[in-house]
Amino acid sequence: MNINATLLGQTLAFVIFVAICWKYVWPPIIAIMEEREKRIADGLEAAKKADDSLEEAQLAFDQEMNKAKAEAAEILEKANSRASQIVNDATAKAEAEAEKILSSASKTIENDVNKAKEELRQKMSELIIDTSEKILGDEISPEKHQELLKKAAEEL
Amino acid sequence: MASASGEQTSAEYIQHHLTNLVCGKTPDGWTCDHNAVDQMGFLAFHVDSLGWSIFLGLVFVGLFRLGIPKLSTEAPSGIQNFVEMCIEFVNDNVQSIFTSAKNKLIGPMALTVLVWVFLMNLMDLVPVDYLPTLAGQVAEATGMVENSKDAYFKVVPTTDPNITLGMALAVFVLIIFYSIKIKGLKGFLAELTLHPFGKWMMPVNLVLEGVNLIAKPISLGLRLFGNLYAGEMIFILIALMLTFSSISIGLLGVGLHLIWALFHILILALQAFIFMVLTIVYLAMAHETEDH
Repeated sequence: MNINATLLGQTLAFVIFVAICWKYVWPPIIAIMEEREKRIADGLEAAKKADDSLEEAQLAFDQEMNKAKAEAAEILEKANSRASQIVNDATAKAEAEAEKILSSASKTIENDVNKAKEELRQKMSELIIDTSEKILGDEISPEKHQELLKKAAEEL
Repeated sequence: MASASGEQTSAEYIQHHLTNLVCGKTPDGWTCDHNAVDQMGFLAFHVDSLGWSIFLGLVFVGLFRLGIPKLSTEAPSGIQNFVEMCIEFVNDNVQSIFTSAKNKLIGPMALTVLVWVFLMNLMDLVPVDYLPTLAGQVAEATGMVENSKDAYFKVVPTTDPNITLGMALAVFVLIIFYSIKIKGLKGFLAELTLHPFGKWMMPVNLVLEGVNLIAKPISLGLRLFGNLYAGEMIFILIALMLTFSSISIGLLGVGLHLIWALFHILILALQAFIFMVLTIVYLAMAHETEDH
């Protein structure tokens, strides 16, 4: 159990093996492990990015959807109001037309009545004058006749 | 072996297991003869410890080189999983201890220490007689020794203080190197002499801090050695039970061996981990620049 040159031999062996490990064993394995670590980290980051962009896309989609919904609602409302306007217009037009027709009809009737009255008056005057001529037996000049007729018609 | 050669006593059996195969320089030149060990000076090598240590170091490097995939960053599989798990574990430990300073050497060194020491410790689980007996037979067959029991072969490198202190020495050199590199020679000397009592007590400070500094590698090496040596000792004592010519003691020995081996797995891994963590901590302390 004595101490001898074995100690120095072991020290030398230690130095050599540490050097071998330092040069040829440690670096390649550490490099590979670090590279793999980096790849995993990159992958996770990419996944996170994809997640984020998905969220963004979802957000944009929701926004577009809401916009489209609002537009559709607006269009619908416009169409509705336009339809009711058209109905209103048509109703008003129809009412006006009806009134017009009614008024023109009543005017025609009035005209007809007036015309009939006029005709009646004319006939009545003619009849009266004819009767008066016969009674008086006197021929009335056409001028006078006309004048009388007019007078009678006015009086009537 | 003891049962094969009835002459061996229990003490001899234990002693045999605790003796290294030594090759060293004697006044007559280099020799691996066990009888000449006493004449060897410092220039002697525990060929078995050192051989296993280097072999297991090569196993570590080979295993981890195999674990390098063909430049694929896809999901790892098989041995790559294991290798990456080890590296991640070591890296986490290093990063949790090295919070401010950065040093690219610490990670690889901690990995080497962890896996290498663990592999060396793992040799403790090979039943204590297998490899020494095999080595003895080989030595006898090749004519290196006359009797196989004269061949000494100690397998577990971390039960040899030379091995554990050898690694601790390397760590110690690195501690001093980084202390001087980060703090400068002045800063390092100031750390040794100006704490904890201020500059008027410099000698006292130097003694205290010096002990503190020296204690790091000594405790680092001896802790590992002590734990593994004790474990190995218990394995040897349990194996000794199998040499008695009593079946009941032999069966008890088998059961005890199993229990101790299972428990020892924990110690092996734990001691390798402790060695690694302490290496990292000591070097992190060498990188600390602020006063305390």
